[in-house]
Amino acid sequence: MLRRTLTGLALSTTLLAGACFALPAAAQDARTITGAFDVGPGGMPGNFNPLSATAGFTWLNLYFEPLVIYDAALEKIVGALASSYEVSGDQLTYTFRLAEAKWHDGKPFTAEDVRFTFDLAKNAASGSNFAARLTSVASVTATDARTVVVKLSAPNSGLLDTLTKVMMLPAHALSAMPVADLARNAWWSTTPIGTGPFRFTRYANGQFVSLAANPDYRGGAPKVDRVVNRYFENTAGAVAALRSGEIQFTYVEADDVANFKDDKAFRVIEGNSYVVNYIGFNQEVPLWKDARVRKALMYAIDRGQIIKALYGGAAVPANCGYVAPAFVPAGIDTYAYDPAKARALLADAGWAKINGDKPITLLTYYNTPLAGNVMAAVQAMLAQVGINVVPRTVDVPTYNATVYAATPDWNAFPLVYAGLQNGPDPSIINIGLNEKQLPPAGANIMRVRMPSLSAAFDTALGETDAAKRPSRYQDVCKAMNESLPWATLWVTARYGVASTKLNDFVWVPAPAGGPYEAHPEHWSITR
Amino acid sequence: MPRTLRYALRRLLVGGAMLLGLSVLVFLLLRAAPGDPVDAYVNPSVAMSPADLTALRVRFGLDRPLPVQYLAWLAAAVTGDLGYSLQGTGDPVLPLVFSRLGPTVLLMGAGIALAIILGIAGGVAGAVRRNGAVDIGLSVIAFLGISSPAFLTALVGLYAFSVRLRIAPSGGMLTPGAPFAFGDLLAHLVLPALLLSIGHTALIMRYTRASMLEVLSADFVRTARSKGVPEFVVVARHALRNALLPVVTLIGSTIGIAIGGAVFIESVFNWPGMGLLMVTAVRARDYPVIMGAALIIGAFVIVLNLLTDLAYAVVDPRIKVG
Repeated sequence: MLRRTLTGLALSTTLLAGACFALPAAAQDARTITGAFDVGPGGMPGNFNPLSATAGFTWLNLYFEPLVIYDAALEKIVGALASSYEVSGDQLTYTFRLAEAKWHDGKPFTAEDVRFTFDLAKNAASGSNFAARLTSVASVTATDARTVVVKLSAPNSGLLDTLTKVMMLPAHALSAMPVADLARNAWWSTTPIGTGPFRFTRYANGQFVSLAANPDYRGGAPKVDRVVNRYFENTAGAVAALRSGEIQFTYVEADDVANFKDDKAFRVIEGNSYVVNYIGFNQEVPLWKDARVRKALMYAIDRGQIIKALYGGAAVPANCGYVAPAFVPAGIDTYAYDPAKARALLADAGWAKINGDKPITLLTYYNTPLAGNVMAAVQAMLAQVGINVVPRTVDVPTYNATVYAATPDWNAFPLVYAGLQNGPDPSIINIGLNEKQLPPAGANIMRVRMPSLSAAFDTALGETDAAKRPSRYQDVCKAMNESLPWATLWVTARYGVASTKLNDFVWVPAPAGGPYEAHPEHWSITR
Repeated sequence: MPRTLRYALRRLLVGGAMLLGLSVLVFLLLRAAPGDPVDAYVNPSVAMSPADLTALRVRFGLDRPLPVQYLAWLAAAVTGDLGYSLQGTGDPVLPLVFSRLGPTVLLMGAGIALAIILGIAGGVAGAVRRNGAVDIGLSVIAFLGISSPAFLTALVGLYAFSVRLRIAPSGGMLTPGAPFAFGDLLAHLVLPALLLSIGHTALIMRYTRASMLEVLSADFVRTARSKGVPEFVVVARHALRNALLPVVTLIGSTIGIAIGGAVFIESVFNWPGMGLLMVTAVRARDYPVIMGAALIIGAFVIVLNLLTDLAYAVVDPRIKVG
């Protein structure tokens, strides 16, 4: 009897648990698209405030909209809430003509909303991340209900790029809130209103955000009723959900791509990461003063082999800060793998006396298995020419605390393996390389002081003729290629995977998640 | 004042002092760790100037001396204000933590309940059929369960049941966008709860078996048998009740360990509980959330341990608290 009772108890518990497996999870309706829109480097889960966003714009752009936006190729900036715009010849006046649009509460979008948004974005007290980038904006005037004129105190070639990320906000809903309380206001995650094709409906804390179709969208009513952004702690969880059919889209790591490539149920989306990976030479460390040593590093690393063997070909070698053909001039040194040349350069420079085989820390925040393999390959290749680097992988806060310290310990990062966004706007790398951007002014954390490079940047930034700008950035590329402030390595591809049930779905692995013209109102799903 | 109440109050007072010590320890450990919330906020590939970072530190109050920061936190905490999260839209910490406590209690409760039922049943069955096929089979299962780390069982379980067999949702607590349904919640709960229970089931099974074997050879059991008491009554009433004492102690300490296990399970299954909240907060160096969550988890464990001690008196009338 006892055995029967015990067996019965254990069996019934196991069966009860087993029966729960048979319980179907609630089905999503046939007109809902669910994705992991905030997974990966372009995501920023839990952030609802576009003013303080440093990423996550792919998702935010489903319900908020900027004045101007990149096209899906990330090649040109086109109108969004501005139906058109003009820039004066002296690059000091921008005139935006506004589209006929409505906020999700039915009120009209007006020039006053644009002026209000500029005021907030320029004011750091609002929690805005754009204040420093909008300091050149001298005035914003609504000349009529549908026209806004922005005047600058000095030309700012990066203004339109910045404005692609400044989402327009409703003055009638937010103007009564004290600016200092705005960043912390519950409005963002409870009742935000935008002008986009979907409107905010619900945030389930830590789980998902749900949007419903905006039938009054000026581009036409969306084809699906709902879009859901499900949160995942890591990419592996999102990939599992994609495979099990619970979601229809996620960002994936490069080494996951092979598992989806030949599967007809999925479509792999590849795009430029717009992040140039480099080995940064800390110029406060005497090891790297001699250009021959820096060149030796370039020749010693077989970038082609690493790209082929570790990245599966999904990267482009970088011989300066750019790989986009428009900014790379012909004839620059390609630093083809040549360990003998590297050894000769090191011998000429007297490397044995400079450092010899003493270990040199190579600090990085890249902590994926793939990055670990890349570091190991770099370490082995450099060891072959007599440079003994020791990779040290830390988390992002530790990396930032080390390189951004007010009084840095230079020996904690004589070398870094890092990445810096290099597009779509080419001026973006100026902050990490121009002598004028030495901390605390900028983020030239490796303390690069190379006059020819700084001069090339200054000329490019001051160029008011848009047609001449690519040629100016080619000069920047040439200066980088010659002076080697960094050992530039490559620009990798990034990937997303979408179910083939999704139709007209547009996703681009844009830096910070874009935004870009994704036209979510056209997305649909076949069940 | 009854002795039990006096004992409970004394324990709660000591618990209060422990919480104060815990808050100091967590505060110091957080500040000793490299990087602060601003360092965690900055994407290294999207450069920001140190001047911008300094402005952010001033906004978060991180520029003030450490004792000032701690005392300001403590002064607010005693009034029930645990500050605001430094992530996202800056939710107040107390409601944020409480909103995550429910899912964790549900997951842990289900996992531990499963572990208690299966563990005690398996332990008694093993002891009664000592060295038989059932005992050996259960021992093998128990050792496998004890040896498997939570993150491994979680990943293997996710792959097997969600990705391959597709009989359980891959994560979350509810189907996003669908109306709430109890069955939906249960369907999402069962796999993480089962996986959470594995290690604890194994442990409880081994303890129960050992304790039962000891009690079954005691004189009073032999006496009961010689008096003709049916075997079921001997085991269930005489032996099991006595054997449960060390098991109750184990279950009490299991709760603390289960919180650690829940961190892994919640991360893998995106279960929106305290574990996931803590992992996200530590990654973001979200000091107020980490402090608040540690304080509330600490209070939770202190109260549960007190309840466990009080339960001794119920399980064994020889024990008097106080």
